[in-house]
Amino acid sequence: MLPNPVLQRHPDDGWTLAVPMKVGAGMDRVLRQLADAILPPSPRTKTTLEDATRHALVCLQYMPRSSATIFLLGMRLLNWSPLWRLRGVRPLTALSVDVARRHLAGVTRSRWLPVRLLMYGPLGLFMSSYFDQDYVHRELAYAPAPFVAERIELRRKWIEGEEPGASEEIHHLTARAP
Amino acid sequence: MTMLAHRDYRNGEKHDAEVVVIGTGAGGAVVGAELAEAGRDVLFLEEGGYHPTSSFNPYLTESIPRLYRDAGGTIIMGRPPIPYAEGRCVGGGTVVNGGMAWRPPEEVLMEWESITGQPDLGAKAMEPLFDRVEARIHAKPQHPTSIGEDNRLLEEGARRLGWQYERNPRAQDRCVGSNQCITGCPTGAKQSTLLSYMPRALSSGARCLTEVRAHRLWIEGGRCVGVLGKAINPRTREEDIEVRVRARAVVVACGAVQTPFLLLGHRLGRPSRQLGKNFLCHPNTKVVAVYPHDLYAWQGVSQAGQVREFRDEGILMAENAVPPGTAAAQIPFLGEEAFDLMKRYNAMMMTGVLVEDSHAGTVTRSFGAPMAKYSITRYDHERFLRGVRHLATLHFEMGAEKVILPFSNLHVASSVDDLAQIERTQRSRSTIELFTVHMMGTCRMGSRPRHSVVNLSGELWDLPGCYVADASLFPTAVGVNPQVTIMALATRVAQRLQLLN
Repeated sequence: MLPNPVLQRHPDDGWTLAVPMKVGAGMDRVLRQLADAILPPSPRTKTTLEDATRHALVCLQYMPRSSATIFLLGMRLLNWSPLWRLRGVRPLTALSVDVARRHLAGVTRSRWLPVRLLMYGPLGLFMSSYFDQDYVHRELAYAPAPFVAERIELRRKWIEGEEPGASEEIHHLTARAP
Repeated sequence: MTMLAHRDYRNGEKHDAEVVVIGTGAGGAVVGAELAEAGRDVLFLEEGGYHPTSSFNPYLTESIPRLYRDAGGTIIMGRPPIPYAEGRCVGGGTVVNGGMAWRPPEEVLMEWESITGQPDLGAKAMEPLFDRVEARIHAKPQHPTSIGEDNRLLEEGARRLGWQYERNPRAQDRCVGSNQCITGCPTGAKQSTLLSYMPRALSSGARCLTEVRAHRLWIEGGRCVGVLGKAINPRTREEDIEVRVRARAVVVACGAVQTPFLLLGHRLGRPSRQLGKNFLCHPNTKVVAVYPHDLYAWQGVSQAGQVREFRDEGILMAENAVPPGTAAAQIPFLGEEAFDLMKRYNAMMMTGVLVEDSHAGTVTRSFGAPMAKYSITRYDHERFLRGVRHLATLHFEMGAEKVILPFSNLHVASSVDDLAQIERTQRSRSTIELFTVHMMGTCRMGSRPRHSVVNLSGELWDLPGCYVADASLFPTAVGVNPQVTIMALATRVAQRLQLLN
């Protein structure tokens, strides 16, 4: 099995990604508002929220039905968390993004474990989608594909008999601790 | 090579084989390959898809649904809840693990020998099995060109503090440190079972049915004679095609969560009532340090070595670089605050503390899905606090600017002095954030039906013809990365498997 020096994001290998789980307009609004509040406001593209929500709904398709249902119930509960945390009477979807974000930060740091637990799923799903995008990678100066492609080439030469030497070691002069 | 997928199946189709193996990870692939090479007609059932090296890429949004069970959304309930990850693809967990290839410590094997009363499980007797496995997966330490700045820094920190640090033996052939272990090795260096054992099995005539979930065992006259499964439509994820496999022996190797889940559906394990009990998971926690200079932790192999100074206390520490998407999901910040920290991603060093289990949990069936329950003990909690403090001390010794701590009520330490707050603030076991990838136990082997689920050949005491060959077999935790132990036990199961005519 040969390596993939091109490292496409969606390799054309005949495998199909599942279609996103179908949810109603209300749940879609909840997920979008949660994504908007959790994700950094910049950098973003026009499709950032759509992409993050879509990724979450695709991932839900891979879970057992009962787990996906519990997750969506948890998102409803989170949406109404201002009410049950006695911080207001309106759900997150009716609040501005900044207010919703401050509220969710409070949920993330709550002293009650079941409350904090509600944030595990959306944090994992939205953050892993957002920080996987090329435009975010550029901001972080994170470029795995060229590095991996170079390493694939290094290994190819090694297999052909050219063992890597000191010049191929991974060194960054800035990493020397003072 | 016969590798079928959903598009190849017709409803109600039936396959015959001498041995059907459920799962293709560290247990299943090994037992299947050993049997196929011995001339047996082997058929694998794999719930995940077949993803060759050429399809691996460094993007989480693509790799996680492809390679991980439930797209990574799996959690052990308890105090605290512990998210866990396991592979779901041809090659199973070995495709997405770090490839560490440690033998179990001698004292663990001595304990197994004493628990089971079976000298065959002692270090001496197991040695040929470990030798065989290590040769097949090319277990050896890393070449210097594959090691990045972060691992060098950890090693140097351990040296400065006078701590024992050891390079990990890893399942790799000419690894060049692309640091993509968790999304599938794109260079083909990591010797997952996808590249080591499965090709051996397939070239010896084994067949593999992918995208099929095993739902029930096929039992006739008190003997296991096959598996009933359903193929999963990759687009809708509906289980829409029935697939049956009839065989003279069935090997269940779905991992320590899914194996008891399948067996509990048949109310097995009655003699001892140990099925699903004795669940062990080597809980881990993360300690992320931010340095004043860039380290580029994503360049160079992950976990080149381990700090083993505190091994006697059951504490291991290692570097564990993950992509930004995974790192961001584990930091306690949202929005701009999260991005401000993530902008320092290149200066981050991600490390972890592993604590050996002092207690066991359970796996049960609940609403059609497995439910794992496990809580850490006070002793585990104390060891986590000690481990986090040690690791944070090392980071400050090496010049870290700040350390992100794994506590919901204490996020950041800016100096060694701040670490004194750990003891004061961490009185509850609920505030520590853990995760795991080493699930073990649940179908422990033994020499007496009253104390174990399977006998020393891996066969269920109360279901002849049904064998277990994965980490479920472990009588106790191994205290090190379990891959090699699973493979050695699976080799042993293959050698002892008896086929009735």
